[in-house]
Formats: sequence, C-alpha cells, structure tokens
Amino acid sequence: MLVLKKLFLENNFFLKLSIKELRGSFNEFKIVITSIFIGVFIITAVGSLSQNLKYQIDNKRSELLGGTYELSTTYQEFPRDVKNWLEQNGKVSQIVEMRTMLSSLKSLPYKRRIVELKAVDENWPLIGEIRIKSEKKTSSSIKINENIDKIFIDEGLKKQLNISIGDIVKLGNIKVKVEGIIIKEPDRMFSFATFGSRVLVSSQTLKNTGLMVPGSLVKYKLKFIPNDKRLELSFLNKLIEGTNVSLKNIQNSTNNFNTFIERTTLFISLVGLITLLISGVGISNGVKGYLIKKIKNIAILKSLGAKNTQVFKIYLFQMLFIFLMGIIPALIFGISIPFLFSSLIGDKLFSSFQAKIFMEPIFISCSFGFVVCLLFTIIPLSKTYEIKPIHLIRISRDKIYNEYSNKIKIFIIFLICCLCFLTINLTSDIKLAFYIFVSLFISLIMLTLSTNLFFMILKKISFKVGTIKETIRKSIVDRNTFSKSIVISFSIGLSLLITLNIVQESLDRKIYNTINQEAPDHFFIDIQPSQIEDIKKIAINSIGTNNLNAQPMLRGRITKLNNVNVENLKVDKEVQWVLRRDRAFTWGNTKPKNNKLISGEWWSSDYNGPLLVSIGDKIAKGLNLKIGDKIEFNILGRNFVAKIHNTREIIWENMGINFIFFLSDSKIKNAPHTWIATSKNQNKVMSADFVEKVVSKFSNISSISVEESYKAIRSLLKFLIIIINTIAFVTLISGIIVLNSILDVSKKDKLYEVAVFKILGANPKKIISLWFCEYMTIGFISSLISILIGCSVSYILLNYLFNIEFYLNYITLILFSLILPIFITIFSLLKMLNLFYSKPLKVLRAHY
Amino acid sequence: MSIMKQNTIIKLENVHVNLKSNVETIKALKGINLNILANRSISIMGHSGAGKSTLAMTIAGLESVTEGKVFYKGKAIHDLKEDELADYRSKNVGIIFQSFNLLPSMTALENVNLPLEISRDFIDDKKSIKLLETVGLKNRVSHYPHELSGGEQQRVAIARSLISSPEILIADEPTGNLDKKNSKEVIELIFQLQKNHKSTLILVTHDKSLADLCDETITLDNGLII
Repeated sequence: MLVLKKLFLENNFFLKLSIKELRGSFNEFKIVITSIFIGVFIITAVGSLSQNLKYQIDNKRSELLGGTYELSTTYQEFPRDVKNWLEQNGKVSQIVEMRTMLSSLKSLPYKRRIVELKAVDENWPLIGEIRIKSEKKTSSSIKINENIDKIFIDEGLKKQLNISIGDIVKLGNIKVKVEGIIIKEPDRMFSFATFGSRVLVSSQTLKNTGLMVPGSLVKYKLKFIPNDKRLELSFLNKLIEGTNVSLKNIQNSTNNFNTFIERTTLFISLVGLITLLISGVGISNGVKGYLIKKIKNIAILKSLGAKNTQVFKIYLFQMLFIFLMGIIPALIFGISIPFLFSSLIGDKLFSSFQAKIFMEPIFISCSFGFVVCLLFTIIPLSKTYEIKPIHLIRISRDKIYNEYSNKIKIFIIFLICCLCFLTINLTSDIKLAFYIFVSLFISLIMLTLSTNLFFMILKKISFKVGTIKETIRKSIVDRNTFSKSIVISFSIGLSLLITLNIVQESLDRKIYNTINQEAPDHFFIDIQPSQIEDIKKIAINSIGTNNLNAQPMLRGRITKLNNVNVENLKVDKEVQWVLRRDRAFTWGNTKPKNNKLISGEWWSSDYNGPLLVSIGDKIAKGLNLKIGDKIEFNILGRNFVAKIHNTREIIWENMGINFIFFLSDSKIKNAPHTWIATSKNQNKVMSADFVEKVVSKFSNISSISVEESYKAIRSLLKFLIIIINTIAFVTLISGIIVLNSILDVSKKDKLYEVAVFKILGANPKKIISLWFCEYMTIGFISSLISILIGCSVSYILLNYLFNIEFYLNYITLILFSLILPIFITIFSLLKMLNLFYSKPLKVLRAHY
Repeated sequence: MSIMKQNTIIKLENVHVNLKSNVETIKALKGINLNILANRSISIMGHSGAGKSTLAMTIAGLESVTEGKVFYKGKAIHDLKEDELADYRSKNVGIIFQSFNLLPSMTALENVNLPLEISRDFIDDKKSIKLLETVGLKNRVSHYPHELSGGEQQRVAIARSLISSPEILIADEPTGNLDKKNSKEVIELIFQLQKNHKSTLILVTHDKSLADLCDETITLDNGLII
C-alpha cells in the first residue's frame, strides 16, 4: 500500500495534468474505445460463460449423467447378470439410442429427416424431470403409455418436417403420433456427434418399429442409483470385465463435455484475442492520430521545460484513462453475459442455472486488454520524444535524440513477453501462440518494408519540373510529410480484408469443387448385409453401380497398443480422440479406392492369415505406431489383436468413406454388422430419386445429405468470417482517425498552398484536380501495398496452413483496390473544401 | 573559474546553427559572438531570414548549436542533453512567442501555473492570480484561450513566462499578431515586468521603435551580427 501511495503521490501531477490536457478530446477516441471494448468483451464473456458452465456441470453431474452411474454398450443388450445385480442394488433405468429416419406423411414424396432416437423405460428419468409441451398443457412429467405408439420430438424437427402435435408420422415400419414437443430433457448433453433432432419414444414403441435388427448401430445405456451410496462395485466390475460394457461415474462422466467447453472456449477466446490484436492496430492509429493533433501542445510543454519522460507520462496516463473507458464497460458487459443467458442455459442444459461472477476471466481479459493496448500505444507514444520544442517556430528535421529508445525497447520486450505468457496460458499451446505472433510480426514487417520501398522509389524518380506529375510526386514525398502515416494506417485494415476475402473465396471454391467433383451426394447408414445387394440393383437402374461405394462396418474400442492399456498411454493431443470412444472398423482384402499407401504394402486379395490392419498414416504417427506394431480392440465383447501391415494417407476433405482402421478379411465378417454406403451422380434428380427409392424401400436405412452438412459448416464459417471481417472494417475505419488528424494538422499548409496557387493565377478547379490526383495517388499506393500483403499472407495461409489451392478473384480484388483511393480522395477533398474560399492575401500575411 | 565577466549572463562564442530541411541545409547563424549582461534588455533586429529567432531560440536552449559555445552564467549549455536543457529552460528562461502558444484545454490560470507544475514547484494560486491581475486579466482567470482576445492571450503568455521568476525573458516578436493598441500595451507590460522581476530581456523584433526601448540593440544580417 505504501508503495502504491508513494507511486500515486509521485504521479499525481501527471494525472492532474493528463486529465486537464485530455479535456474535450474524448470524441477522438470513439473508435479506440470501441476497438478495446470488442476484444476485451469477447474474452471476458467467453471466459465467464465457460467458468459458469464448468461450475454448473460440477454441481449437476448426477443430473447430466441421469444417475450415479451409467453403463453403456453398443450393438448388444446388457448381460442378464449385470442387469440383475443392478436391480438388486438400486434403481435402474434402461435407455436405447440409435439413428434413424422420421418421415412426414403429409405430402408425396415424403419429407424425411435423420433423427436421434431415444427409447426410455418407465423408470426414466431417475434424476431431474422431463418437460414436454402437449396439446393440452405444458407438463412437467410424461407418462408413456406402452399401448399407444406416440413420439415426442424437438421443436426444430417440427419446422424441418412441417409437422405439428397430433400429426401421424412414420418411424421404422410403423406409423406413430406426434404427442408433444420436448422442452427439456434432463440427461441430454450437447455433442458434436449429434446428427439430427431428438425423438423420444417408449421402449415398446422402439420394438414395434422393427428398427432393432442384428447389427444395427444401437447404443444401450443403463442409468443406476445405488440404494447404498457406499456400494462396493468390485463385483460389477468383474461382471463387465472382458465385455464391451463401459462404466461411467459422476467423476468421469462429463469429461467429453468439459473438453468440448474447453475447446469452444479456446476457439472463441482466440477469436477475441485476434480481435484484440487487430483492434490494437486501430488503437495504434487512434493514438497516432491524437498525438499528431497534440504536436503543438507537446512542443509548448517542452518549451516550458517539460522533460521527455514527463511528456511521455502525461500522455501515457491519458491513454490509460482511455483504456479504462473501454476495458471497464467490456468487463461489466462480459461478466453479465452468463446472467443474461441464464434462463436460456437453464432451459437447454440444466434444470436451473444460477450465474456467478468468476475472477479468473476478469483477470485474464483485463490483463490482455492492458497489455495489448500498451503494446500498440507505446510505439506511437514514444514519438513524443521526437517532437522538439522548436516545432513551435519551424518543423525540425534535426537528428532525433534517442535517449528513450533502450528503455522503450525493454518495455516493449516486457509487454511482448507478458502477451506470450497470457496467450500460452489461454491456449495451453505454445505452438499455436507462436504461430499467432509470428504471422502478426511478419505481416507488420512486410507492411513497413513495402511502404518504405514505395516511398524510396517515389523519392528516387523524378519527372519534368513544373509538370503535374512532378508537383504531385513532390507533394507526397516532400511537402506532405504524413503521406506515409496515411498509407500505413489504411493498408493494415485493407490488407486484412483482402487476406480474409482471398481465404474465404479459396475455401468456398474448394468446398464447391469438393461437393461437385469429389464428395458423394449422400451417405447411407445402418444398411443390413442382406440389403446391400438390393441397393446395388437399385443403383444399376439409376445412378449406376460405379457411383455407389459400400463398406461393411462394425464399431469397437481400442483397448491396447503394443500390449499397453490405452489408459496408461501418453499420445499426441491431436489424436487422443481416436482412443477416447468407439471407432468404426471395416474389412476386406481389396485396397480402398483413392487411398495412397504411405508405408508397407497391401495384403494379397486371397489373404486368410492372422489379422492385419491398415491404419491412417497421421494417426499412426500420433499414436507412435509403426509397421509390425500390435493394436488390440474389443468388438462386440470380444478382443482381437491385429498387426499393422501398412499406413495410408486419408484425405478427409473428400468426404467419402474413410476408415482409420481397415482390417484384413477374417472371422469378424461373420459377426452381426451393418454397411455404410455413399452415392454420387451429376444428375441431381436421379440422385434424389435413388435416395428416395432406397429409404422408402428399407425403413431401417438412414440417409444423410452431404450438401446439407456442408451448408451447415459453411454457415458457421461464414458467421466467423463476418465477425473477423467486421473487426477488419473497424481497423480500416480507424485509419480515418489518422487521416482526419493529418488533414487538420496540414490544413494551415494547404491553406497557404491554395493562397499561393491563387496568387499565381490557378483557379479552384485546377487546385482541386491537383489535390484529387495527390490523394488518389496516396490511395492507390495504399491499395497496392495492401494487395501485395493480402495476397502474400493469404497464399502462405492457404498453402501451408489450410493446404488449399490459392484462388484469386480479380473482380473482387479490383473492387478492393478502388476502396481506398475513392475514400481517401472524397474524405480529404470534403474536409479541405472550405479552404478554397479563403482570401489569398489575408492568408499569406498571416502565414508565420 | 568563470570565463565571463562578472555580470554577463549569456555568452555566445563563434556560434553556428545549421537548419536542415528536406531539400537543403540553411546556415542560419554563421559565427555569432555575443555577451548579454544580466538585468539588461537587448533587442535583436534584422530582416526576415536574418537569423533573429534562431539566435533567441539558441539562447533559450530550443535550437541545437552546430558549432561554437553557449554559456549561461559561465556554465556551458551547448552540450547539454535534451532533459538538461529542459531543466535549464524551466528554471531560468521564460519565453513569449508571437503566436501565444497557450494550451487550449486549460484556463488562463492553469496555463500560468503550467511552468510551476512542470518544475514540480509549490503552486500558489494567489501568486498566479496576482500576476494575472498585473497583466490586466483579473476577470479572465477561469477563461479558456478561445474565450480571450489576441491581446489577452498574449498577456496570459507573459504571465506564464514570468511565473517561475526566470532570469532570462525571451520575447520573439511578441506583438506580431496584435493590433497597434494591444501592441503598445503588451510592450509596456513586458518592460515593466522585466524591471519588476529584474530579468534580462531579449526582444526579437523588426520594429526599430521597439528596439529603441531596449538598453542595447544588435542587428543581424545573413546569420552574422553587423
């Protein structure tokens, strides 16, 4: 406290002087404050929301799990002895989950949607409550009548299929009635693996649908609350040992959801951080513009005996005050977000949600805000050292006395270290933090170098004395000393916009090409082995068998790698997901189409020996596996060991059937399994007709449209690009602050220029055309630099990060190149308009 | 040991000042030798571009010396660092500019107090208000520069230049932006206050009648004293 008091007393003078000097200047900082606000707000809001969700999850684990324990298995029902033991020791509820199609019968052809079907027994839910909206009233519990086949659906499905409560729809082989809309489902967790909307039915209804056939991808779950909290589970563990039953408790139940929250938080926080860093340029421009206007004041202070450090401190305090004006509202709004959305979050995720204030996100976003603001302010602020008091008499071009440079450099290095530390803390990823900083650093270096190069060329070349070209060139290079500042200020925003646009267009083009040339039109899942031949026959008469690709499939869990349990393995973060859940396996002796072998060889077509496996090359590297290593997995309760025979390159982007694990032909093929297939045809009508024929003939088969899935991804991508584009626009607009300040400062010179031109006989039209050319040239230089940087950065990003072909849309590029010349010229001429009406003699008399 | 005569406050030895522009380097002062005695008034005359302001600003420590030496009370100031020069100005020099140079966001009183705040001296509002009264601005204490006339702004600038009781008062064309009536009043005020404060006045002017009011006059031509 004493230190703070001493610090306060020491700096009290600067504080007072700062505030006095800042009077009436707040309008200059609108964009700066907005820029700070957006970045800090995103980081605070996301951090607070994430902390609140994690806190709620920790407190509502039982409700989210639906019991104290959850046992789950795929394909097969639970062993009878497991069920018996659970029933003897507590309350049990069984749930069956699968994907299927729901068809509306309102019009032909029937509208169909893939849905997440959940069949529950009478005991469900063990914890929490289900809330549904029926024709009569909103109910807080449902009594599922076993004798009537009714379903309850999500609100979204109602719109997708254009159905309402009371309508008859088709599920599997039977017709069912939509009894109500699900408002709240207690044990439902958000998941990326969710394909469709929820449909809730009774266990009996599921049996009636005929959807449960051997090999169907069905997930069985048992929710369990023991009568005695201290119940010993060793007997249960013995019962499930060696089976494909897995057991979750409330401690490990929400790991996936937590991971999801962490990843989403990281992603949005990164958007916030990038926003803040981009805003930093806006902040820097704002400060630069402000200081340009304050040059005279700084010179006055110095002429009165103010030292460089004193002047620096005065303006630093002013900036800190401005930062607070952006940061404090951002923090308040940010921590309010969980409170504002508490009812929505409560409805969707938890039965009740009480938001809290957490200090960690406040501290992190506040630190980020201050560090970024200071980092981007310190350089323009250090220019106050360069302003000499003699500026009050004349513009000094003396060599800059740079006693400040070392202290400033050390401070900048310190701020960069703080930013690195905070970013690493936020992302928990040094590599990612490194990429962010390196790309920003390179972009800024490129900008400075190319601007200097352009101005160097302009200085070197010369035209015939007296020509308009030479007058403009001299005006930009010599008289208008701020041209470079205008170019740099605007180029940052525009190069960012160009980069984003090229990346977006290249991605769009890639997606378009993939959909049209490589990706299949539709996926078919849950095909019974007996149905595959019939589907091929349908294909012969419509899309052709060449356009149908089918593979058998079974799901299983990896249990050991080279005899080491996966729980004890440390593998690359990027591939942890492979070991986390069930994975799909396929088999055959024919090498899959379009798969390139990276190492090893494919086994012979008549191979019948010990089980071999082909594995995705990147996954193998991430799991530290090589040819000859052993993978042990559990399928349908049985353990299999396969030896790695080769590794393949998997191109996920082609959206085809891609299996990480491809087994050699073995006894597995005799196990109950299903097939997965894709179809493709350039003729969209024929393609849709094929889908209709397949799904109407086989009610157990579900189809997924690739185009619709892509649309969903694209809309998400577009949303993100809109956010970043908005920020880029704010940065571009922030260039106006600099331009405006520069025009204000150079008004006196321009007034003098007009007076001289008038005395020499030039009419306003001639002066306007001269200035028009001057500002147009500055605008075009900025555009050229922006295009150069935008194209280079996007080329690097697309080639090395996204691995996508660089695509340049010349029309968009031409439009972008026109923005700045037009904008700068119009803005400057409008601002200077009143100068043309000045009286030349009066001006010349008053000039110095 | 002092190298100056006892009452010499400023001494310039062979001072050259070159001013750089983008196009060329102008030799503004080409070897000035000058002794300025304490508590006296000296006017610097000459036509436009002769180097009058450059010489005054060199004495104020605002202009860097290319060659030669400048002493204040025997202490060399030509090789001082920027912050030391700022210190020299804040303690010893008061400057009155032709274009007033008041801070627009501060009131007349705050502008007058500014040198004290910068030198972290005790601020006595009574002293500042008294000084403003002396320059005839008793009722303008809380006014901002844009609420004052040109003559009033220059009076505030005069009060500001004297608040720290500097030994040297430099007035660079102080009446250049004023009408005849205001010019007369301001000049009378400067001389009166110079006497009261026992300062050394260096007055830059191209008006011979003003120069004649000073104890001594030097005339510059093409960067040299003639």
